[in-house]
Amino acid sequence: MAVAVRVDAVSEPVQASLWSDAWRRLRRNRLALAAAIYLVLLVGIAILAIFYTPYRMSATGIAPDYAPPSLAHWLGADNLGRDQLSRLMIGAQISLVVGVGTQLLVLAVGVPIGLLAGYYRGWLDQVVTFVINVFYGVPDLLVALILVFLLGPSLANIIIAIVVTRWMDMARLVRGQTLALREREFIEAARASGAKPMKMLFGHIMPNALGPIIVQATFGVPSAILFEAFLSFLGAGVQQPTPSWGSMAKDGVDAIQFAPHMVIAPAIALSLTLMAFNFLGDGLRDALDPRSKR
Amino acid sequence: MFTRGTLIFIGQRVVLIAFTVLAVSSIVFLGIHRLPGDALFNEHLHGEQYALLLHHYNLDKPLLVQYRDFMIALVTRGDLGESLVNRGVKITPLVLRELGISVEVGGFALVFTIGLGLLFGVVASVRQNTWVDYVLSTTSVIGYSMPNFVIASFLILVFGKWLEGVTGGTFYYQLGAWKGDIGQLWLPAFALGFPYASIVARLTRASMLEVIRQDYIRTARAKGLRETVIVARHALRNALIPVITILGPLAIGIITGSVVIENLFGIPGLGKEFAQSILNRDYFIVIGVFTMYAAMVGLANLVVDLLYVVIDPRIRY
Amino acid sequence: MPTPILQVKKLRTEFETDGGIVRAVDDVTFDLYPGECLGIVGESGSGKSVTALSLLRLVPDPGRVVGGKVLFRNEDLLQIPEDDIRQIRGRDIAMIFQDPQSSLNPVLKTGFQIDEAMLAHGTPKAQARHRTIELLKKVRIPAAESRVKDFPHQLSGGMRQRAMIAMGLANTPSILIADEPTTALDVTVQAQILELLADLNRELGTAIVMITHNMGVVAGLCTRVIVMYAGQIVEEGPVEQIFDNPQHPYTWSLLRSIPRVDALRHERLRSIEGIAPDLLHPPKGCRFHPRCPFRVDKCFTDEPSLEEVAPNQKAACWVTMERARREMGADEIVDISPGAGSGVHPGELR
Repeated sequence: MAVAVRVDAVSEPVQASLWSDAWRRLRRNRLALAAAIYLVLLVGIAILAIFYTPYRMSATGIAPDYAPPSLAHWLGADNLGRDQLSRLMIGAQISLVVGVGTQLLVLAVGVPIGLLAGYYRGWLDQVVTFVINVFYGVPDLLVALILVFLLGPSLANIIIAIVVTRWMDMARLVRGQTLALREREFIEAARASGAKPMKMLFGHIMPNALGPIIVQATFGVPSAILFEAFLSFLGAGVQQPTPSWGSMAKDGVDAIQFAPHMVIAPAIALSLTLMAFNFLGDGLRDALDPRSKR
Repeated sequence: MFTRGTLIFIGQRVVLIAFTVLAVSSIVFLGIHRLPGDALFNEHLHGEQYALLLHHYNLDKPLLVQYRDFMIALVTRGDLGESLVNRGVKITPLVLRELGISVEVGGFALVFTIGLGLLFGVVASVRQNTWVDYVLSTTSVIGYSMPNFVIASFLILVFGKWLEGVTGGTFYYQLGAWKGDIGQLWLPAFALGFPYASIVARLTRASMLEVIRQDYIRTARAKGLRETVIVARHALRNALIPVITILGPLAIGIITGSVVIENLFGIPGLGKEFAQSILNRDYFIVIGVFTMYAAMVGLANLVVDLLYVVIDPRIRY
Repeated sequence: MPTPILQVKKLRTEFETDGGIVRAVDDVTFDLYPGECLGIVGESGSGKSVTALSLLRLVPDPGRVVGGKVLFRNEDLLQIPEDDIRQIRGRDIAMIFQDPQSSLNPVLKTGFQIDEAMLAHGTPKAQARHRTIELLKKVRIPAAESRVKDFPHQLSGGMRQRAMIAMGLANTPSILIADEPTTALDVTVQAQILELLADLNRELGTAIVMITHNMGVVAGLCTRVIVMYAGQIVEEGPVEQIFDNPQHPYTWSLLRSIPRVDALRHERLRSIEGIAPDLLHPPKGCRFHPRCPFRVDKCFTDEPSLEEVAPNQKAACWVTMERARREMGADEIVDISPGAGSGVHPGELR
């Protein structure tokens, strides 16, 4: 499970220069660029898979069971004679949808909660902090497992389970940022000129916390994908015949003695994708951190 | 070091942990019992036998009564009840036994994680920007980017299959046949711990780099101390402080990771029990395991907080 | 004149930055005599601290000593092997630093950190601890026996600095370099520390190099002083002489800008106009000319070198205060602004 520990810099007041500065720095980071390119390709494949895959992903027996890679089936076949490549492509869709979907929801839930708790303080903050700490006290995978089994394993439920167990990271981050930012002079100035609280929160504070928020979300994607892979590996993910890289890996491990190709494809796909998001996240964090030593 | 204040702190924490554990098990208990569907549905029994079974497990009583009985049994006797699926199997001894196994594997992974991570991190920081640093840093990112079952698969392939001639199958862990042999532990422990070792390495490196720039390191140099002494005695202890912060989430990570790893290797620990019980719908065991986990997490956090006191003399409770 | 214990010749230290090379110490030459107290004065960025660090090869990355010699006991400290310079550090030449809060390791006991200074050079443990307690008493820390077991955060600022001094003197070095030891302290504590240093200098015969931006500190403690500006020495000489009759316009401006208790109430605070020079692109000619009230044409183009302007006193200036007083009415000047005395203003700004 990816550990969400971050040493965050409080962003400087937003100026046009910060973003272009960050963009420039990001461009110089070759690893992050390579990662970005890979991810673009991955998205492309996932979109392509909506319209076309070499074979139908659920078609069984179109190749001999456990067939090794060949010209007809570039990545070989699995234990039910299904084409690995096609399933891998669909699996990309699943991973990306889970990864990005969970983060969007986490943003939708965590950011407002963090903003409100950090800005208004008082009892609201106490309650929020208490709730956050409670959620932290329990191992996320276990809760998610229970949730998924209670609600039934479907893509939507998996996303919900992940969001429920990981929203606190974003909320805590945003709360911390808000607490720091609200003391800054430009907020006092805005308050003095009569700005309404909502406008302050979303118009002034949030844009300035955007840097760390983006970084956190970027790191949250591989965390979610990993989470889903774990669930699928344990059989609690999306159900057959829909393939997930995690369940494909599980089938592969079961056959590892005599058909190693089955586990290699999803394993590499998962590793590369997670690595790409992590490198990209690193790059973004270095680019957006005004104190970065480069 | 262990002042009165610290002992009071420990005492308070233990009480808090106990409450949390009870709260967690209550929530899980009540949550599971409100499930739609029949807890015994995979029994395919009817009539009198079914009613007997229900009675045996107290399931014919109202929810609150069941809860009360459960809580009383838990608090007074530490009794977590009986398995739903395997009749007659008491949960508490089962869970405790499995806990021991999980702790063995997890402990191994933890020690390995911290040891290797610290070592890599310190070396990378001392040789900053050299090829050693780049290799170690890149390995770290790869390490925490790969799911532990991928690492496990890779290790199984390498040591179990491709190098079988060399290792003769003795080095790696045979899937499915847990013999409790410590030599078998290394592969699951490595797969479990490597992602976290990578995180520790990264953090240690960053922390050391910060610490090396500090004024007190300059003072140590001006005194004429040797570089190794400076790194080991002056720098490392200060650099450890942020690493300790991460130990709590790290322990939790190892706990959750063990669910997958134990399943993969067939190690009869808590993780495997948990996943299996959910699949089998043996809800009582689920409650029991979860309770155990809650206790472990609480204890892990307490140990971490105490470590702060050991390392940093500015912190006293 | 006795032989100097330290001879610095044409010392050059550079920093490699993204923007280019910064010459933090540019051709610095001076001698240090046994038992004397030498002050190095300058504003931030003048290179005084870097000079001191260079002597012991303690300059941090991206800095590097690129030229010159530092002669100590017939050895060039810049050339000897790493193990040898390590032996010298803390034993023959010791250095104490500005902020005792950050200069002491927070996780190690204070007594141990002082012990270490001796342990590093071969003293056995028991003996070191005995001496540490002795030293703490010598630097006037009360209850020394219990203080050794305290952590730095348990001591006050003044006590921490005393502990640092104890650390520096542990092996009775011939030279103690003190880099702004009082800057981070209360004024009253400052006075105590300076008094302590003066007493120790007298008692132990340890030469002290006192680095500071505060002329008052120099006046109280030192016998000779070096004035640095933009990485170069601009004036040096006996303290009393320099204070009475500074020859370099920078020194003169520094002394003039010290607020005086007996000044007339309507007099404005005097400060030197302009900002410290950018060492990436130092001014052409004399580095002080953009701010100098007495500059002449030559100052814009030619770099002056240290010349003797009075017995034992050297200054690097084409004009010198003697001429400025005679010809430019220096004593009547109120504002220390560029060209105020000489009336020379460049056609274009530098």
